[in-house]
Amino acid sequence: MRHRHRERLLEFLRTIQKPDRPLDSVAETDSLVEAGLIDSLALLEIIAFIEEQYGIDFVATGFEPEQLMSVSGILDLIEGQGR
Amino acid sequence: MTLPARLAGSARRLSQLHEDPAVIARWQAWTRPVLSRMTPGRRRAVLALAALYSVGWQPLQEVKPTGMLKSPDALPAVVAVVLLCFALVLVVYLAACRFPALPAAVRARPQLWLHGCFWTLVLLHRLAPGPSGVAALAFSGVVITLPFLLWRLGYLLKSGQRGHLSGTRFSDHLIYLYPSYGGPNTPYGKGLDYLARHEAHSQEDLARSQLAGLKLVVLAWIWSRALDLMRGLVYAEPGGTLSAHGLGVARLGALLPAGGQAAWAAAWAAVYSDLLWEVLKLAARGHEIVGILRLFGFNVFRNTYRPLLAPSVVEFWNRYYYYFKELMVDFFFFPTYIRRFRQHPRLRIFAATLAAAGFGNLYYHVLKNDAFLLALDWVGFLPWLGLRAFYCLALSLGIYVSMVREQRRRGARTGPPVSLATRVRRIAGVWTFYGLIAIWGADSTATFQQRVDFFLSLFGLR
Repeated sequence: MRHRHRERLLEFLRTIQKPDRPLDSVAETDSLVEAGLIDSLALLEIIAFIEEQYGIDFVATGFEPEQLMSVSGILDLIEGQGR
Repeated sequence: MTLPARLAGSARRLSQLHEDPAVIARWQAWTRPVLSRMTPGRRRAVLALAALYSVGWQPLQEVKPTGMLKSPDALPAVVAVVLLCFALVLVVYLAACRFPALPAAVRARPQLWLHGCFWTLVLLHRLAPGPSGVAALAFSGVVITLPFLLWRLGYLLKSGQRGHLSGTRFSDHLIYLYPSYGGPNTPYGKGLDYLARHEAHSQEDLARSQLAGLKLVVLAWIWSRALDLMRGLVYAEPGGTLSAHGLGVARLGALLPAGGQAAWAAAWAAVYSDLLWEVLKLAARGHEIVGILRLFGFNVFRNTYRPLLAPSVVEFWNRYYYYFKELMVDFFFFPTYIRRFRQHPRLRIFAATLAAAGFGNLYYHVLKNDAFLLALDWVGFLPWLGLRAFYCLALSLGIYVSMVREQRRRGARTGPPVSLATRVRRIAGVWTFYGLIAIWGADSTATFQQRVDFFLSLFGLR
């Protein structure tokens, strides 16, 4: 299941990432912003993506921007919601 | 390779010296006896001990400008302020530690409760009879000292809300609650959650952090000298370097009361030099503070990162005063963004931007206005509030438009690369935007109308 979520997430990240940074060069636990893959604005699009695709309501779950900074953090959030 | 390319390469290598493995290894070898003893726990302990010194020092600095220290009641009052504020900090810490046990209403809106309690104190202070005696002085001292702690306590509560306080000690939180390295109401390095995430745990990471810190301390010194030079060469003010040869550009705040009467070239020179001055000032102070944090192993982001090269208004806001922007984003932008207008993407971004750069920014500056907090004199306060509100509104609109444009640009990234001329034009546009809105943000005796006249005169409309 995590693998499927990961593929879907990476596909989405490719649509918002900066063009000169290969997504594969960033480790799953690296901060996407600090690695220069996305800018802080793209975080808003990640929030909208998670809300829309996984029905997550951040008002109910609590919101930690840091959790959305890395691929593994986002996947943990999605999986935590599914449990 | 051409000479400019070689020079650019050398400059890049020099600026990234702290990331060079050979330099890190050499630094580790030189400082091994010190590094091996500077464990994370000991580094935190040193900063916490230094924080205890600022527990008393900071309120003293807050009270000094009010002239209260001339009174014989002053010293007991300052001691009372220190103890009361420390007790409040302890109460909030204990509340954060027991966050799940707090009443549901507080758990739902902890920040609102924190600020609500503060404003209740402000109101009680206003209603309290007679401005004399130790108790009254201490009450005033608490009212003007608390805004320094308020945002820091906000981060502490957030940490408790997220359940991140287990495994931390009260002394760890003193590091940012009472920062020994000083600073404004904005917490540089945010709270312990953020600091801990960037904390060095190996000797190599500590060496890397320290080298990055040293680089910032050197840069802080360079920008301080640049400020001296600017004070002399640009403003021709006494005490500045080479002031005898200075251009004598007027300070923006001093020129604004002239309204439309200011000379056109002098007015534009004041606008751009004020922007440069503010950026340098913030960079010098911010590098000093972040430099110290890095020397102690907290390898956090810089406060200022090349804002004058920012190609968009939103990028400038991100790079100019990072920890203020983070404060606004953490306490106003995201809370609004996740709650409001979820079905309307553009409106959602607009509301969140207005909440952060507009309302949050305005509120932050209200909390810095000691005279208002002490007297709650709305009549005297309204002109200041009007100016600040206009500034914040203009900033919010600028950031919103810039965010939307950046999103569009990202969507159309298959186009040709941006030319140098386009980049220069964009950067000039950013300078002009921030220079112009500062007309309403600058400290000056000028009225709103005089500022409007000054603005219009820049375009030959007065």
